[in-house]
This record gives sequence, C-alpha cells and structure tokens, in this order.
Amino acid sequence: MRRLLHIEQVKLLNYNPFRITLGIYFLAFSLGLFIYPAIDKEIPVISLSDLFRFPDVWLFLTWITEPYNILLALIIIMITTKEFNNHTFKTQIIFGLSRTELLLQKLLLVVVLSLFATLLLGITSLTLGLIYSYKLTFKIAMENTWILGRYLVSSFAYMSMGLLVALLIKNTALSLLTFLAMRVFVDPVLFLILREQEVRWYLPMRTTTQLTPVPNLIEIFERKINSAESIDESALDILPEGLPAWLNIMLVLLYTSLAIWFSHLLMQRRRFT
Amino acid sequence: MKEILSIQGLSKSYKNVRAIRNLDLKITEGEAYGILGPNGSGKTTTLSIVTGIIRQDSGFFKWFSEEPKASQRRSIGSLIETPHFYPYLNLEKNLRIICDIKGMPYGDIGRVLETSHLAERKRSRYSTLSLGMKQRLGVAAALLGDPKVLVLDEPTNGLDPEGISEVREIVLQQVHLGKTLILASHILSEVEKICSHVAILKKGELLADGPVKELLAEDEIIEISCDNNEALRQKLMGSSLVKEVETENGLLVLTLNEKVMPAEVNAFAFTNKLVIHHMLSRKRSLESQFLELVKEE
Repeated sequence: MRRLLHIEQVKLLNYNPFRITLGIYFLAFSLGLFIYPAIDKEIPVISLSDLFRFPDVWLFLTWITEPYNILLALIIIMITTKEFNNHTFKTQIIFGLSRTELLLQKLLLVVVLSLFATLLLGITSLTLGLIYSYKLTFKIAMENTWILGRYLVSSFAYMSMGLLVALLIKNTALSLLTFLAMRVFVDPVLFLILREQEVRWYLPMRTTTQLTPVPNLIEIFERKINSAESIDESALDILPEGLPAWLNIMLVLLYTSLAIWFSHLLMQRRRFT
Repeated sequence: MKEILSIQGLSKSYKNVRAIRNLDLKITEGEAYGILGPNGSGKTTTLSIVTGIIRQDSGFFKWFSEEPKASQRRSIGSLIETPHFYPYLNLEKNLRIICDIKGMPYGDIGRVLETSHLAERKRSRYSTLSLGMKQRLGVAAALLGDPKVLVLDEPTNGLDPEGISEVREIVLQQVHLGKTLILASHILSEVEKICSHVAILKKGELLADGPVKELLAEDEIIEISCDNNEALRQKLMGSSLVKEVETENGLLVLTLNEKVMPAEVNAFAFTNKLVIHHMLSRKRSLESQFLELVKEE
C-alpha cells in the first residue's frame, strides 16, 4: 500500500497539470474565506455572514463547495488517461505491478484526495464559523458536522466515476468531456425529462449531488429577520425533495461500488501496449 | 538446468489477424535465446504476453516453473518495443519509480546510468532525450537490480551504428555473466552474434528452433567456370563433393558438402580433363538463408 502510494506521489508532485488543478482547487476554496464575506456588504437586510455562523456554516459551505469535487474528478481523469497516453501502465506492469495494483494505486489516490477535500472543507468551515458566530458553544459549533461524512462520500463517488470514465475512454480530452457532459448536461436534462417520475431521484449523478443538499436558506434568514409571520415554504415549493437520506447514501455507495467493479474488469482486460 | 520460461500452445488474435498460433517454446537457465522473425511474425506479441501487458486467447506459460505472477516480473528486466517513461520526470526519478515497483533501494541507479552512458543526463527530463538515448534508458531500466533474466524486444531499434554496437556490447556482457537472455530481433546477424539458441517465427508460427550453430549453419559455396560447364556439372553431380549444383549467368554455383575444400573440386575437374579458369568462394550469407527459411511455407 505505502509502496503504491509512494510511486503515485513521485509521479504527481512533479506533474504540472496536477499541481495547477490542485492550485485552482485551493483558490476556489479560499473564495469561501475571503470573497463571500467581502460581497456581503452589498446586500441589505439579509447578510451573507449569517450563513457563516455555526451551525449553518457546515451545511452552507458543503453545498457551495460540492461542485469543486468535479475538479477532483477531472484530476483523476487527467492522470489516469495520461498513463495510457504515455504507455506508462505498460512500463509499470512489465517491471512487476499487477493489474489489480494499478487500479489500487488510483483508488488509494482517490481516498487520499477525498480525505484531503473533506479536511479542507472542515478547516474552512471551522475558521469561518469561529469568525462570524456570536454565540459560541461547543454543542452549537459541532452541530451539523455529520455533513462532512457525506461530503467524503460525495468526493469519493465523483472521483470513482471519473476513474471509470478514464479507464473506459482512455483519451484525455474525450474523457473530460464525457464526464463534464454527464454532470452538467445529461443529468439535468434527464432529470427534467423525468420530472414527473420518482425514478429521477435514482440517477447516479443526481444521488451524488443530493448527498449535499441545498440548505434551508429561508429558515436561516427567517431566524435572523425574526418575522412574526413565517413564510409558507410549501407554497414556495422549496421543500426538500428527493429520497430519504439513508436510501440516497446507500444508492451512492452502490453506484460507486459498481463503478469500481467495472473499473476492475476493464483493468483486467485492457491491452497495455 | 533450471527452466526459466516455458510456453505451451500460446495463441493470440487481434480482430482479423492471428498474431501467434499454438506457440511452444522452452528456455532454460543461462541460454541466450533469440526469437527471430520478420516484422509481424508475432515476436512482440509473444513477449508482451509473457510480460503481462496483453492477455493470451489460449495456451499458457510459466516463469521459473510457476504460474505467472506479477511478482516474478520484478526479477526480470524487460524492454518491450520502445521504452515508455514519464516524459516530465528526469531520468533518475523515472528509474526510482521502477526501483519502487521492484521493491529495491535506489543504489543501483547510478550504475545502470553509467553502463548506458546516460549518467550526465540523469537530471534531464525524459522528454528531452533523443530516440537513441530513450532506447538506452530502456536498456538501463532493464538492467536495474541486476536481474537474472533479461527480456529484450529489438533493443537496438532506432539506434545509430555506434549505439547499436554499444547496446550489443552491454547485452553480450550480460550473456557472458551467465544471465538468461530472451532477445527478439528481425536482424539475423544480431541473433547470430549474441544468441546460443534461436527460434524462428513466421506469421505467428514456430518454423524451427534449436542451437544457433545447427540452425544457421553456413554452407560453403563456390562459383566456378570452365570451357565445358555442362560436362563439369554432370561429373560433379555424380561425385560426393557437392550437395547442389546450380547454373547462374554462365557460372556453376556449387554448394559443397561438409569438409570439402575448393581445392578438391579443382583437382577433381583436372582429373576429368576439364580446366577451371574461374573459381570464387562465395560464402552464402546467413541473411539469404534466413529469408529462405522464412519463405518456405
């Protein structure tokens, strides 16, 4: 395990596109720290900084940083297809790695990157929470931290799907395009087409995005405004929809396992010339 | 002698092409085994299967009398077709990755870079190397960890004459050290210079295999001419001196039986009252012999 991770580390830390994409990822995260609070001053009555208070900050940041997982999946696609382009899978095999180890190498990286992403989210949320909260008790601060577990599953699921796409298509540009199309085009369109049917919640990409749902912003602002008449949420049609959380998580785990299983089958059959 | 690699009934097809058909080979310890064949005869496919990069359709092979496993390849140094490394990493880091795969310390990197004359370039990115240097790095990587078995597929491909002789020198050195060598090549002289045993492939089938000396034995060939070639031809056919007599541009081309000296032919003609006025020794080139072997269906 450590040997495989070490090999991966040497390859990646010297690979510019990896460093650059990871840099962009960091930048995107620091938006949360610096940019959002800065635009806050532009909006009257409702203050964005309300969203950065414990315990809402956990849910809010998880929701807005969920798309960053796409970047992580793109990294996985890039480095996996590069191994095909450079024929380096072949080199690693002839010098003694098994096909299973080749897959394991990439999966270990997926695990490390998801842990890293979750840690980064945790640190960012904690920092913002500490800055913007008035009342600070341990209990309030730690409420909603369960969402980090879901974020971990979400990152892992995204990258596993990316890995499958890369192993299936092999070509860098085509794989990136396919993955992005699935996320930003195929899934929303299918979701619209199936809008009357329950099955729309079972689409693989949809279950993954549903892991980190939109926080109930109305409720958060209500608490702030403290209006006598509470807004009728059902009339606004923003009630949380979808599958029960446990079913949603089970589905994501099922899809991810399938993605890994297919990746394994592909890896065993590929010609690495 | 210990068995290094045995291949039995190996077959592989790509879409419409049968790359190898029912191939059997056996390579024992200490042999320098050449796999000789023209382009497309299945050499690379065979070596790709035994090094794990492609899967066979049927048949099986064993390394060191055991079922094939990835860990066996750590004690084999291979170069299959062109070498492939990470273009953005320098030579040293690329070789470090291979050391990590093989589970060995980095101490050997300096030696193999020295052997392949790449020591000065060890901090250069792989992508900046010339074709010949890349090929030499491939050889260097195969030598990492001083493996007992080397599998080299056309190791002199793309090298200039100097590079070719350098790589051959390195390979020969390994053979002299008692390493087992499996060398695929379409260049007959290369196999002849390096190998003790040879298997000749054609269209994925084994045409012949055995010790190089037996398979690629050289026949003594001479061309002669006298005033009456036809009469001489008749006489020679009846003698025990020649294997074959052919007429070529008004000359007789004789394939001599073993241990027959050209002088004996001259004496034979003279006793038959025929005076030879042209005699030239023409060593039949191995190349043409190889081509002949491969041509036969």
